[in-house]
Amino acid sequence: MTDQEKVALENASPCEQTRSGPCYRPNVDILEKDDELIVMADVPGAVAEKVDVDFADGVLSVHAPVDESRQTDRKYLVQEFGIGDYCRSFRVSEQIDPSRITAECRDGVLRLHLPKSEAVKPRKIAVEAH
Amino acid sequence: MNLIPWKHKSASEPLRTSTALASLRSDMDRLFDAFVREPFGALESSFRDFGAWSPAVDLAETDTEYTVRAELPGLAPEDLEVSVTENQLVLSGEKKETTEQNEKGYYHSESRYGSFRRNIPLPGAVDSTKVDAEYRNGVLTIHLAKSPQNASKRIEVKVKKS
Repeated sequence: MTDQEKVALENASPCEQTRSGPCYRPNVDILEKDDELIVMADVPGAVAEKVDVDFADGVLSVHAPVDESRQTDRKYLVQEFGIGDYCRSFRVSEQIDPSRITAECRDGVLRLHLPKSEAVKPRKIAVEAH
Repeated sequence: MNLIPWKHKSASEPLRTSTALASLRSDMDRLFDAFVREPFGALESSFRDFGAWSPAVDLAETDTEYTVRAELPGLAPEDLEVSVTENQLVLSGEKKETTEQNEKGYYHSESRYGSFRRNIPLPGAVDSTKVDAEYRNGVLTIHLAKSPQNASKRIEVKVKKS
């Protein structure tokens, strides 16, 4: 096991894995907008059709499998990244409406849209002048 | 806070709110990792340019070609530039933030944005006309054919007697 893989295992989130091998924690950006949170995770190499986004017990789990492995027919001179699935979990409060969570994956970036529930959306209250 | 990035072992670690600090930290981590793996390797070559962000790269060779793979999530292929000389490959480009990223502050940020440039010295000469690059799912794969005289190139050294 390389150093990189060890780090990856330490960082791995405890979501269920269907395959053995290291599981990497993707870098994420989180943006807050008035009506939703957007989570963008860097998952280079992940196949969009196989990405699994799961919500249970207030925890949103992302599992993005990578269908590649190191080729054995060649000699590696430089290896800076490990190849393995991506896993990460987020605890989500009731302020998010889980039924309307959507996800898209393009060019190695997974975007999750987490709409805020109606109760917490900012709203303007009109003041009546008498 | 209504969304908490879940951290397994480093729960006490504070959120990295400062991008500058985060990038310094990742550079330090990278330097440290490189030192642990190859204590004096960093002295030999500046394979990786520190400071600006640069993508993680794999370089492999077979008898006939070199393969370079780079992790470049979130780039449009038109924002990527690949150039090859006989013994060097240069990857450059820019990872652009979307408009919504520009208009509102980040809640949490770990990704790097902006332009990058990475020079990858190749161990042997390549035929710069036989290079093909493919970008798929955020990974750039480049195949570079070795030039035929690569293996047999040998330079005689004459020693002058004084």
